[in-house]
Amino acid sequence: MSAPTALSKGKKAALKVVADHGVAAGESVAATPIPPEIEKIAPELSGMLRVLTCGSVDDGKSTLIGRLLWDATDLYDDQRETLERGKKVDGGNPDFSLLMDGLVAEREQGITIDIAWRYFDTATRRFVVIDSPGHEQYTRNMASGASHADVAILLVDARHGIKKQTRRHAAILDLVGVKRVILVVNKMDLVDWSESAFRKIEADFETFSWRFGFWEAKAIPTAAVSGDNVARASERMPWYPGPTLLEYLESLPSRVTEPTGPFRFPVQTVLRDSRNDFRGLAGTVSGGSVRVGETVVDALSKRSAKVLRIATMDGELEQASQGQAVAIQLDTDIDVARGAVLSKADARPVTARVLEARMVWLSETAYDPRGSYLLRTATDLTPVSTLKIRSLLDLESLEAHPSDACSTNDIAIGDIALGRPAAIDTFGDAPETGSFMLVDAISGASIAGGVVTAAKAEAAAADENSFVLTRAMLERGLNADLRDRPQTEAEFRRRANEVALILRAAGINVEIESAPDYSI
Amino acid sequence: MTQSISHLDLLEAESIHIFREAAAQFRKPVLLYSIGKDSTVLLHLARKAFWPGKLPFPVLHIDTGWKFRDMIAFRDKTARDFGLDLIVHTNEEGAARGINPIDYAPSVYTDVMKTVPLKQALDKHAFDAAFGGARRDEEASRAKERVFSFRAEGHRWDPRRQRPEMWRLLNGRLGPGETVRVFPLSNWTERDVWRYILREKLDVVPLYFAAERPTVVRNGQLLMRDDDRLTLKPGEEIVNRRVRFRTLGCYPLTAAVESDADSIETVVAETLGARTSERQGRLIDHDQAGAMEKKKQEGYF
Repeated sequence: MSAPTALSKGKKAALKVVADHGVAAGESVAATPIPPEIEKIAPELSGMLRVLTCGSVDDGKSTLIGRLLWDATDLYDDQRETLERGKKVDGGNPDFSLLMDGLVAEREQGITIDIAWRYFDTATRRFVVIDSPGHEQYTRNMASGASHADVAILLVDARHGIKKQTRRHAAILDLVGVKRVILVVNKMDLVDWSESAFRKIEADFETFSWRFGFWEAKAIPTAAVSGDNVARASERMPWYPGPTLLEYLESLPSRVTEPTGPFRFPVQTVLRDSRNDFRGLAGTVSGGSVRVGETVVDALSKRSAKVLRIATMDGELEQASQGQAVAIQLDTDIDVARGAVLSKADARPVTARVLEARMVWLSETAYDPRGSYLLRTATDLTPVSTLKIRSLLDLESLEAHPSDACSTNDIAIGDIALGRPAAIDTFGDAPETGSFMLVDAISGASIAGGVVTAAKAEAAAADENSFVLTRAMLERGLNADLRDRPQTEAEFRRRANEVALILRAAGINVEIESAPDYSI
Repeated sequence: MTQSISHLDLLEAESIHIFREAAAQFRKPVLLYSIGKDSTVLLHLARKAFWPGKLPFPVLHIDTGWKFRDMIAFRDKTARDFGLDLIVHTNEEGAARGINPIDYAPSVYTDVMKTVPLKQALDKHAFDAAFGGARRDEEASRAKERVFSFRAEGHRWDPRRQRPEMWRLLNGRLGPGETVRVFPLSNWTERDVWRYILREKLDVVPLYFAAERPTVVRNGQLLMRDDDRLTLKPGEEIVNRRVRFRTLGCYPLTAAVESDADSIETVVAETLGARTSERQGRLIDHDQAGAMEKKKQEGYF
């Protein structure tokens, strides 16, 4: 049994309003019940699932999702009418793919080049459908879509089975951390509802999917055009006793059901209320949970404090768990600011200087070994002192081929040396503090998205060749106006980052001296 | 046993996270406040994100001069109640030229009295980020919108410049001349907005509730005559009808629906039981195919 969390369905029962801390508890919501007729029309759904759909236009992806919306959900009448009025396809069925249409430009090209988000509700659950393009040249779009998903639907045509593209897609899903995969074998009508055709594809799927870190991989035979096994069990495939696609989706655990992994709290910003001497660290718990009274540590400064209060506008909490956005007040001021990651003492993130990473190259500009890059982690932005591409991953063979070049849609394996330490995990241990975006320091563009496979505390070997921006150097002129340290530390760091970037652009390897310890 | 977290709790936490990321990353953000139900939810979430501190940014209303009077009263009361730093901006030059929603085509009116003044206000105050209440479920072109939506110089939205967003990471580093629109309600649906208003007991503009109001039928739509600037055409007459509004905007462009729903509970029941999507009631959207996409490229929110 999991400990009670404050986020409970439709009520604030677990919120304890504490009156004796001097801070008003905000407007706590009165206990007037929501009328039963509203619960019926708009229940507060007990969960959410984000579903990525990938496959190419030819596999009937838009039709599959359109069909799911049509059969299972709360489509509005005008949306239904649009379909009814539109041209009919395949034996008089509406063209369900129209429900998934997108930008005018894309409609004209007849392909989906960007990811689109759709929302629908069944009786118990919110489904978020993330529709991503299938073609190889859109690997990056698929990867970014997949990074938001709890489960992915891999769509194949029953006539063609698993293709190279299916393998590529599975590899991308694995890379960005999707743990549940459904292989939808569509167009079963075109293979005469043949069990042997399905079983062969299912066996192929099992053979290749075991290589990945998926927790669940399930194959379902469907015919989206007629709705067989989409939301309604197929009478034409009595040999398949398993769940329909919708049944299976409804049986999967909801997004954030219980805290997993070690406690992580990336600090977003510091909230102050001078009237009540309140200084709260605002953030979202990205892993595990924490209770009032527990000791937490800032990985970078190694200083610790006890959690005094967990504040929200709805009242105070005894505990904050993964997914909750709160403000944590500590019993002693340890000068934690944006970019810090709070953890428990026995399971800390690495104070990392060097990372090994896998990344999807998103930019249309190729990798430039002399480029100025920044690393955006959960809430920190760190200058990259060197980015070295070691190899590219072949998504079909899953082999790494040595390479020092990298461009759009490549999956690269590389080493990132940071200009100063940052609190980072490996993706496998704590996904939210183990993933990053590589940012172009000049244009601001998101260059690559990646996962950390190893994080090391020691500095890179090439240290003697780099120029160190010391605190004293920065304090003398550039930051002379920043007197109220540690309050101004964030601005101090921001300026240091910018100087480092300019120097790097001039070809100088730069390191920034760490902040002093203000605790004594 | 596993306890499930409601979808509204998940959405609320996500929105708070977005507000805090944007406030921390951008130099001078502003919240675009349009007084309607989405803005009401947006403002409430912003207050939650920074509580017990005050909102670390001002609130901007683009006033066309044609909003319902009840909207303006509600706006001013809200600003007072929550101690907001409210900025009201109107395109004075457009108003002086007499651009109005009755005599001008909706596309012209929207451009001059909404899009242009929004750009004027953002430029005047040098805001680099603007929070808006847009949702991905509203319209097809918005289904692909980012949480941080980048605008090139001149506030132009270019699909090619949009940055991929991965995991929960939000990259707010601006390139030269860029500004950003931030959409904390991206993943909410119309249903969620109403359900949340009910759950959080939020006040909304009384126009959402049914009351006897002076109305006229024009082009098959019910319009409310909020003041005498809406002159009658031959054959038209003012009739008091019991009506309410599903969306709020400029009164000559906002169709009313006949209704008896006069409490938040009955409105929610009626709205969510309704079988047409909300933008059907918004007259400007039917102007042309791909209308929203075009407006967006021109800088409309």
